[in-house]
Amino acid sequence: MTQFLKVEDLTMRFGGLVAVDALNFSVDHGTIHGLIGPNGAGKTTTFNMISGFYKPTSGKVLLHEEDISGLKMHEVARRGVVRTFQHSTLFAELTVMENVLIGTHMPFRPNIFAAIVGWDREDREGAEGRAREALKFFGLSDLATERAGDLSHGHQRALGMAICFASHPDLMLLDEPFTGMNPEETRQMMDLMRRLREAGTTILLVEHDMQAIMGLCDRITCMSFGKFLAEGGPKEIRNHPAVIEAYLGGARHVA
Amino acid sequence: MLDLLAQTGLNAVYAASYISLVAVGLVLIFGVMGVINFAHGELFMAGAYVVVAVYADMHMPFFIAVVVGLLFVGCLGLLMERALFRPLRDNPLGGLVASIGFLMILQALATMGFGVRMEFIPPVTQHVVQLGENISIPLARVYVIVAAIVLLSALWYFLKRTRFGWALRASAQDPQAAELQGISIAQTAKIAMFIGAGLAGIAGALTAPLISVNPHMGHSVIVTAFIVIIVGGVGSLEGAIIASIAYAFVHTFVTTFYGGVIADITGLSLMLIVLIVKPTGLFGSADRA
Amino acid sequence: MRKALIWIAFGAALIALPHGLSFSQQEILVFLTINILVVSSYRLLTLTGEWSLAHVVIMGVGAYASAMMTKNLGVYVPVAMLMGGIIAALIAVVLSFPLFRMKGFYFLIGSFAAGEIIRLLWKHFRDPFGGAKGIKGIDPMPDFSIGIYDFDFFEPVSYFYFAGFIVIVCLWILWRIERSPVGLTFHAVHWQDKLAEASGVNLRAYRTLAFAVASGFAGIGGALLAHYIGTINPGSFDLDYMVFVLTWAIVGGTGTFYGPILGCVVLTILNEVVLRELGFEQLRPLIYGAILIASILFLPNGLESIVQKFTKRSAKS
Repeated sequence: MTQFLKVEDLTMRFGGLVAVDALNFSVDHGTIHGLIGPNGAGKTTTFNMISGFYKPTSGKVLLHEEDISGLKMHEVARRGVVRTFQHSTLFAELTVMENVLIGTHMPFRPNIFAAIVGWDREDREGAEGRAREALKFFGLSDLATERAGDLSHGHQRALGMAICFASHPDLMLLDEPFTGMNPEETRQMMDLMRRLREAGTTILLVEHDMQAIMGLCDRITCMSFGKFLAEGGPKEIRNHPAVIEAYLGGARHVA
Repeated sequence: MLDLLAQTGLNAVYAASYISLVAVGLVLIFGVMGVINFAHGELFMAGAYVVVAVYADMHMPFFIAVVVGLLFVGCLGLLMERALFRPLRDNPLGGLVASIGFLMILQALATMGFGVRMEFIPPVTQHVVQLGENISIPLARVYVIVAAIVLLSALWYFLKRTRFGWALRASAQDPQAAELQGISIAQTAKIAMFIGAGLAGIAGALTAPLISVNPHMGHSVIVTAFIVIIVGGVGSLEGAIIASIAYAFVHTFVTTFYGGVIADITGLSLMLIVLIVKPTGLFGSADRA
Repeated sequence: MRKALIWIAFGAALIALPHGLSFSQQEILVFLTINILVVSSYRLLTLTGEWSLAHVVIMGVGAYASAMMTKNLGVYVPVAMLMGGIIAALIAVVLSFPLFRMKGFYFLIGSFAAGEIIRLLWKHFRDPFGGAKGIKGIDPMPDFSIGIYDFDFFEPVSYFYFAGFIVIVCLWILWRIERSPVGLTFHAVHWQDKLAEASGVNLRAYRTLAFAVASGFAGIGGALLAHYIGTINPGSFDLDYMVFVLTWAIVGGTGTFYGPILGCVVLTILNEVVLRELGFEQLRPLIYGAILIASILFLPNGLESIVQKFTKRSAKS
């Protein structure tokens, strides 16, 4: 069996600064994989390179052994790798339902001629069905007609994931999904992610909430200063001397 | 042939000097106000009509007319800032429409006050400076070139060496950060509008005796200024000056050898090519605009 | 049911409208009808967040193409009009390659430059574009009869019915596009292009699609104009006209489908009818400019915001 997602010698330089330095790791299909590290470790940069937001300076991102690095974001998305964004990046002016409908762009590709003549009824119904499914899964059904910008912070994060979910992704890249959530919301979201994993969706997430990471992930990759530091299950990572050193060193640095 | 090249080059220098005055003013206004002043060509026109009124009709000295042109158009700039751009600070498209409205009003006022026909302005001086057998430049054009160099140097000194200039540059780069530094945005906006409009006015006043003055003369001026500030990169004063010189040379030479329409097409095509190669202009940065 | 009745009454009013007007007002009505199509197609482009200054020139591409096809190739006028629209759309696709490298202000001025180049090409090449004098003696729409009404295209009333029918069909198509998933995707491209892209939307393709469709309808508008006035030249599609389209859209407001139409109708009536009737011929541009400034200062969200306030209130009560 081929490796689901493999990152090979991935490097990103901004001017003279090396944000990510020859990073290697791989993600198995059907797992929840965490990417952690102290602030400035290059996690988000790595994310941006996998999703096509940045073009890496060198190195490869292999999806089923196909090199997807340097592709545009929509081309990466069409191969089943769909990301969310940090903060509340949503279509704030549109309703919750419309937001999720845009997420169904890939499975139900709109066609302008069919739309004018009215031959796209099946697609529109299909898209609407999928959108309702996504809203229901993330508990947003009651808010479908609200303006996305008016939602509470937790609901906005959930909506961001619902948009991603609506596109039937193979791999969801979640950028700090738990920030701004209260403990109850975090617990619910963790349940939802486990259900996604059972349904066969692979999840790669960047997160600061250590409790969530340790409780949720099957495997964890830890980075520090742009470099690979350690990898293993939650227990190994928690007791890994290099990881403890990196975090404590970071803490000392902050203090 | 060499004479013709030298003569054309001289004409280009003259064109570059008044184009850069207009373009620098436009860049300054865009930088500080964040608004595209569509009425900038009409400010140029207003400057020219001040010369018609003060110099041609009232027979005052030309020099006085030019100074009045600078002050009058500068005050028009202050009026625009107070009446239009300040209330529309957070609405760039609104500022655009408002400046279009202002343009129409200025054009209508010029038509009502002076008529649509071309104005006759008695030449300031008939003197021609002879530089070679076939190379010459009217003294009036030399005035424009000298004035442009003096004014742009003064502006450069003002921007780089004085506190006002520092405030102006800071608020052009990042208005919020500038406000945190204790710079009054309202104050710098006024100064920028006065200088920006005044430069357009003085350019119009200086060139009035040399070109055809009519209420619609602003049109070609604003088109040229837009090309120049785009090529130079919006928000870059140095870029605007360099682009003015480059544009003036290309346009003057192509006009001399191939005609005006081809020159216009060449100018526009060069600008498109610059934008295709570098979508933010030669000296522009991506984050403003 | 009630809605259908309103539409029927509206249609009847439109049919009756020209009969209550003077000849010159009927002519203005024809221009207004065509301009409604131009400004509505312009709004489709603004849905993706880009403001172009080439729209009127592209409308002119449709006009030139249709006029030349009837004059040089003897194509039947309505077919030529449709072809004019298609050619305008194709030109827009070609222009999109350089223009969509730019955004915002750069796109605005870049599109202006591209439009000016086209206009100057018309001016420079006497063959086939007729140079500065343009194309004269363009074939009028041939007369025909539909049983209950004989179209005689020397009458503005007849042309109003003809153009009105075509414009309504085009508006219907534009409305269908906006209300479809394609229209939703245009909005998405405008509000959060990165998130749209992450959802698999090809940004470049959608921007080009909006530009091409908007240009196609503008081209049909240009063709309608060309076969009505019978003569076109580079000056017919200059920056002044573009500025009018821009101000109709902004003063009307681009948040809704009817906003730009409202802006076009209100400003045209004010400028062409009210000010003329009041005898302000000389002061017209001055007052028009003042109206522009006043409307942008006091109605920053456009005339449509008045309508929205009104409909919201009636919905509540």
